[in-house]
Amino acid sequence: MNDRIIFEDVSKFYGEILGVNRVNLSIPPGITSLVGPNGSGKTTLMNLMTGLVKPSRGRIQVLGIKTDDPERLFKIVGYSTQFDAFPRGLTGFQFIYSYLSLSGIPTQEAERTAWEAIQRVNLVDAASRKIGAYSKGMRQRIRLAQALAHNPKVMVLDEPLNGLDPLARAEMIALFRASAAAGSYVIISSHILHEVDVISDQVILLSNGYVVAEGQIQTVRNEIQEHPTQILIRCDRPRELAAKLFESEYMIEASIHKDDRGVLLKTKDADRFYLALNQLALNGIQIESIAPADDDVLSVYEYLIGNEEVVR
Amino acid sequence: MAVYRRSYRPYSGTLTKEWSRFLVLFRYSRRNLFRSRFLTGLFVLCFFYPIACLVMIYLANSASFLAKLGLPPEFITIDNSFFFHLMSVQGVLAFLMTAFAGPGLISPDLANGALPLYFCRPFSRAEYVLGKSSVLGILLSEITWVPGVILFIIQASFAGTGWARNNLWIVGSLILGSLIWIAILSMLAMALSAWVKWRIVAGALLLAVMFFGAGFAQAVNAVLRIDAGHFFDIGYLMAVVWTSLFQKENDLAISAGQAWIAILLYCSVCLWLLMRKVRAYEVVR
Repeated sequence: MNDRIIFEDVSKFYGEILGVNRVNLSIPPGITSLVGPNGSGKTTLMNLMTGLVKPSRGRIQVLGIKTDDPERLFKIVGYSTQFDAFPRGLTGFQFIYSYLSLSGIPTQEAERTAWEAIQRVNLVDAASRKIGAYSKGMRQRIRLAQALAHNPKVMVLDEPLNGLDPLARAEMIALFRASAAAGSYVIISSHILHEVDVISDQVILLSNGYVVAEGQIQTVRNEIQEHPTQILIRCDRPRELAAKLFESEYMIEASIHKDDRGVLLKTKDADRFYLALNQLALNGIQIESIAPADDDVLSVYEYLIGNEEVVR
Repeated sequence: MAVYRRSYRPYSGTLTKEWSRFLVLFRYSRRNLFRSRFLTGLFVLCFFYPIACLVMIYLANSASFLAKLGLPPEFITIDNSFFFHLMSVQGVLAFLMTAFAGPGLISPDLANGALPLYFCRPFSRAEYVLGKSSVLGILLSEITWVPGVILFIIQASFAGTGWARNNLWIVGSLILGSLIWIAILSMLAMALSAWVKWRIVAGALLLAVMFFGAGFAQAVNAVLRIDAGHFFDIGYLMAVVWTSLFQKENDLAISAGQAWIAILLYCSVCLWLLMRKVRAYEVVR
């Protein structure tokens, strides 16, 4: 398949240290987030995807291109690394321009493209200042600019939201969405789960070098059978509602929400429960909202990996 | 922030030739080197002896001027010994230049973890090493064989085609002798800076390899009563090679062939060490 990023039984060992093991993935266009604790293999997966490390076993193809073919691969891939690593003395513009030159883009075109990328990350005013004088957020932006400067089809971004203030995060997320909407593949690694939840089309959950789940977050959640789905029903008379709900055979547990304005319940089959809920005579109880309470990344992450490393 | 809603549109124009991309590194690194006043000063100092040689060539070809000074015409002879001395002086200066300029080429990139930035382009490790070593290669050429060849041409223009034809082999010796010296210095400087990742320590280590290597060689020879200790002394090995290239008489303890093999071996080891370190990612255990 030439329209996906494909990992086929990929393993990477650094000597005796496990990077990732037996990874099989097929990543579609859109925003895909890699989620996992430190050392789970997120950066290794990104380095494998960009050909910076070679797999010990297995095959990787990025839109049909093998990762050991940099001349073709890096025409369509842009990589923003996790580390602050800038050659000394360069201005923001020179930084982007020099790496475009290394990519083989001729002088005038590189100059034009560099300015365009700087505009996209909103750093025009600071472009002629040295990177050494940039704030952390500005460094993050300029790093992002070098990754998207040549308009790559695949953007691999390692912790791209680190160090950004809320406004800048919103701007970056808008940028990722715009790229994804235009048909790009945006691969993001992040520890900040609530943001991942908001921006991702699909997630890949990693733990100790293994992929523990992959896909749209709701689909992944539905497949976790051992943890009943939680649903929060907001209403004016939660106690009466809870008593009624126990008539349903799909109901396992119910508790009154701490603000006394809702019922948090657990069900073993959410779809059937919703159908049954319609048929229950609710005796005039005013239902304000019904929403799943644990089909977000954080919950899925905790169910699958445990909550030791979760950053909220 | 301005977000441009646009369809995917990659750069589709022609790319520069693959072979020429290492010159981007050369350009930036060289500019960075000459930001240092000390290095610029040292670079200028490197041309004092060639200028003195130029004056000597002029004098050697001006019998009337020498006569005015009361000196015989054979007081200054421009031959293989003259160029050997030029080579020796410029070789020492090239070493000093390397000790100050070389370690700063790679160690900052490694210390800052910048290599992934280079290698997530259509740019290989070999091109990276070539780009960085070309800075030293060209810089050291400018102070070794280039002035040597220019002086040879000036002497040939004074002395005539007969002298030039008889001594043409000196040009080959100048170029070959310089290139092997440049190669070993560049490789040593870059390999050491890649391993210690600290510019100042790498510079000190380069000085230590040359000076302590010579001391260690002497110690080995004295204790074991052998001559094989000279293989630890890179300066001695180069002296053997240059003496042979400039056809100078000598009583050196090892042969030119052995010295060549030892130097090429040192270069290979340095290159191997360098390629082990110049990777996009390093696993720290």
